[in-house]
Amino acid sequence: MYDTVLIRSARFRREREAQWLHLEELVSKAEKSGLHRMSFEQARDLAALYRQAATSLAIAREISLDRALLQYLEALTARAYLSVYAPQERIGGVVKRFFTYSAPLALREAWVFVLIGFLCMGLGAMAGYLLYFENAAWYHVFMPPELAGGRGPGSSTGELLDVIYMQDPGGSGLGAFATFLFSHNTRIAIFVFGLGVFLCAPAILLTFYNGLVLGAFYALHVDRGIGWDLAGWLSIHGVTELSAICIACGGGVKLGAAVLFPGPLRRTEALRQAGKGAAKLALVAAFMLIVAALLEGFGRQLVQDLNTRLIIGWGVGVVWLIWIMRAGRGRT
Amino acid sequence: MTPRTIDNVDALLTPEGVPVHFRVAGVGVRMGAQIVDILVTGIAAAALVIFIATAGLAGPETLMAVASVTFFAIRIPYYIASELAWNGQTLGKRFLKIKVLSNDGGPLSTHALVLRNLMKEAEVFLPGTLVLTLDGERVVPSLLALAWITGTLAVPLLNKRRRRLGDFMAGTYVIHLPEPVLLKDLTEHSAEMAQGNKEFVFLSHHLDHYGAFELQTLEAVLRSSGGADARAPTGQKAANLALITDKIRTKIQYAQAIPPSQELRFLHAFYNAQRGHLEQKQLFGERRADKFHADNASKE
Repeated sequence: MYDTVLIRSARFRREREAQWLHLEELVSKAEKSGLHRMSFEQARDLAALYRQAATSLAIAREISLDRALLQYLEALTARAYLSVYAPQERIGGVVKRFFTYSAPLALREAWVFVLIGFLCMGLGAMAGYLLYFENAAWYHVFMPPELAGGRGPGSSTGELLDVIYMQDPGGSGLGAFATFLFSHNTRIAIFVFGLGVFLCAPAILLTFYNGLVLGAFYALHVDRGIGWDLAGWLSIHGVTELSAICIACGGGVKLGAAVLFPGPLRRTEALRQAGKGAAKLALVAAFMLIVAALLEGFGRQLVQDLNTRLIIGWGVGVVWLIWIMRAGRGRT
Repeated sequence: MTPRTIDNVDALLTPEGVPVHFRVAGVGVRMGAQIVDILVTGIAAAALVIFIATAGLAGPETLMAVASVTFFAIRIPYYIASELAWNGQTLGKRFLKIKVLSNDGGPLSTHALVLRNLMKEAEVFLPGTLVLTLDGERVVPSLLALAWITGTLAVPLLNKRRRRLGDFMAGTYVIHLPEPVLLKDLTEHSAEMAQGNKEFVFLSHHLDHYGAFELQTLEAVLRSSGGADARAPTGQKAANLALITDKIRTKIQYAQAIPPSQELRFLHAFYNAQRGHLEQKQLFGERRADKFHADNASKE
């Protein structure tokens, strides 16, 4: 008797109300403690009730004019949707997959852009080297004074050697590590990646300029006949560090290329897709910079011998190369 | 149905094919969440730096660099890990009940969360650091920084979903978490009352005047004035009810006079009858949006 008095939409609500309240309970539980802590029955009910609530919402929009009910169902469905479609990944798993699979794969996929990065740096270094021998005054043009640390064509060979083989390795390793991370090259790496999106040009120019600095600096030491000593000094962390800059440049160029040549996609969509690979390149570069900082902070003070420095620097470089070329190949 | 509010509402199509509407979180609330997060990570970093300093691991000359690195090393994993673990919410976002959402209706991907939080470095922390460290004497870097800061602040204001650059790249946006509140069905109320006596009878021609908009406005009025059997309201409320009753009676040409004590009961009964009528019409394919439905129908 009572039911016949109610209008259709009120009966619709009466039949389903208990389920909605149950779903609400499950949703707040899932939000509080996470899906993986719920029992099998609860997780199953959550998914099933969510779909029922979504159906109820679709029906209610057609048959009901009760605004309060529509708003409730909308909010409930939205809340349940958010818990049902939550990312189900463990942080440890994400990290492991990144290093064993997705990062090397992204590097191999973007090999053209990474190669452009290395070419920019290499050409810059060559230009800087040759220009120095043409006229030593170029050194002052390229080299920012704060980076040179007082070293220049005016310094004596002895002074240059003193920096390379520190007589007094003052300061703690941690301090040097931290100082390194905020040094010139980290900033360069961040900028070449971030500015690449502006049509590649800033990334390429900055990397080229960084190469110029390197080339001029190296030429100064070769001029004095201590090229090998500098090579050792630079290699121990520089192989890793400069590669990181080149990879960051590759990421930046990849973003810029997506803006320049979006192909059949819209530019934002092309940028979004390029971002997937580019972000991984940036993360790899960041990781390499941290390793370089460790090598710089601890390795360079502890190891004063030229050959050991060369071996460590290039050995680490080879390890990077093997990791990039081989890791994650077996998986499909 | 989109609620008629001034809020910025955005529809998202779930994989089930049912569109769901979310309120887009504005710039203000997101800044609030950001400040909470900066406080949380800042306090953690400060504690760690103080520990390093007292343990003598770093000298005073490098302490500043160590502090920067510590803050950096804490905040980068913090944002990514918290948004991964809590489904698009950091502590600040949980506190202010906002959440990151994927554009395409699918789940948030790890890649999207990493990307939007790395871009945060360029969009939030770089301008922040610039403001703290810039030298007023050097004009060109200051102007560049000003341009960058204005640019990053302007981007969210210039699009409807209030997305920042990182959101664009990751394909995400930020919403207010909807709060489900189940209110009582008004018709049940009226039905209970109508059990005893059918004091108000509405005929089909009474109910052909109004549409969904008027019905839902009446719903809001009735909900705010409590149950139908509640004691008679006084003052302004009573005057409003009298006015509404009078308007409705004139409009639908309801002959019977309503004494003031019966006004609330009359409105409830009318709501019930009107909703039943409109829902019936809707079921047969005739949606009446508002009281102009007759004009609109004749125009077509």
